[in-house]
Amino acid sequence: MITPRFDELIHAPTRLSLVAFLAATTWADFAVLRDSVGLSDSALSKQLTTLADAGYVEIRKAFVGKRPRTSARLTAGGRTAFDRHVLALQEIVAGAGGSVLPPAGHPTSRSTS
Amino acid sequence: MNDRIEPADAARALSEIGRRREQVIRRAVRAAFPGWYWWTTAVLMIALTASVESRRGVVLGIGITLFVAGELITSVPVSRAARAAPLRRDLDSQRRETLVGLATFMLVLVGVLLATALSLKAARVPYPATIGVTVTAVMFAAGGQTLMRYLTAILVRRSGRQP
Repeated sequence: MITPRFDELIHAPTRLSLVAFLAATTWADFAVLRDSVGLSDSALSKQLTTLADAGYVEIRKAFVGKRPRTSARLTAGGRTAFDRHVLALQEIVAGAGGSVLPPAGHPTSRSTS
Repeated sequence: MNDRIEPADAARALSEIGRRREQVIRRAVRAAFPGWYWWTTAVLMIALTASVESRRGVVLGIGITLFVAGELITSVPVSRAARAAPLRRDLDSQRRETLVGLATFMLVLVGVLLATALSLKAARVPYPATIGVTVTAVMFAAGGQTLMRYLTAILVRRSGRQP
């Protein structure tokens, strides 16, 4: 059974978006991640490296013909940490009586951390 | 409970997680069945039928070559885009419904095609198969995209129930 655990590393806005995106995929290409989350190449590299250093993300580099292709996926540990973080968030919201739903279309901060 | 963040912040984070999940689902379906793919296939179907109905060997050869080459060429970017960020299997829970939906859709199209082409042939209208396929191809392209939008909406709705 997964127990809730708030994860500071995942909760940073940019990494939360990245991890949430990766959590819904098996693998994701670097270009897809960059365009979907709206980051520059260097910002995405930095965030992926941070997540990889924590053991949350696996980065795969391959060549398709002569073109390099970088992909990333959540590791089992990263998926567990994400699931626990989601549970912790749900617990916090539930603790507030479910009266803190964000307004529709609320812009989540896009600043890198 | 974590006392370092406000409940409103937690709710915003959950909302962002749901938004990203929906983004992945919509992207995966769009990558597998892009709008242009339906119309390209429709045009290739019409061209192939017209070449068959011309009853001229050279035109038939060109039509078959065009159809096969067109399908192969268009499938490359589609499969590449679909592989770029495939949906996690447990989110793709309606694979069976998608296949059943597509099979039903194809059966309806074949029915429309046969009814149209045979009626036109009985009325001695020239090129009945080409006209029938043109009608069916337009239905295929327009209806296919509608079907995909419907299936995407179901996938998004079901994914929202997952933790």
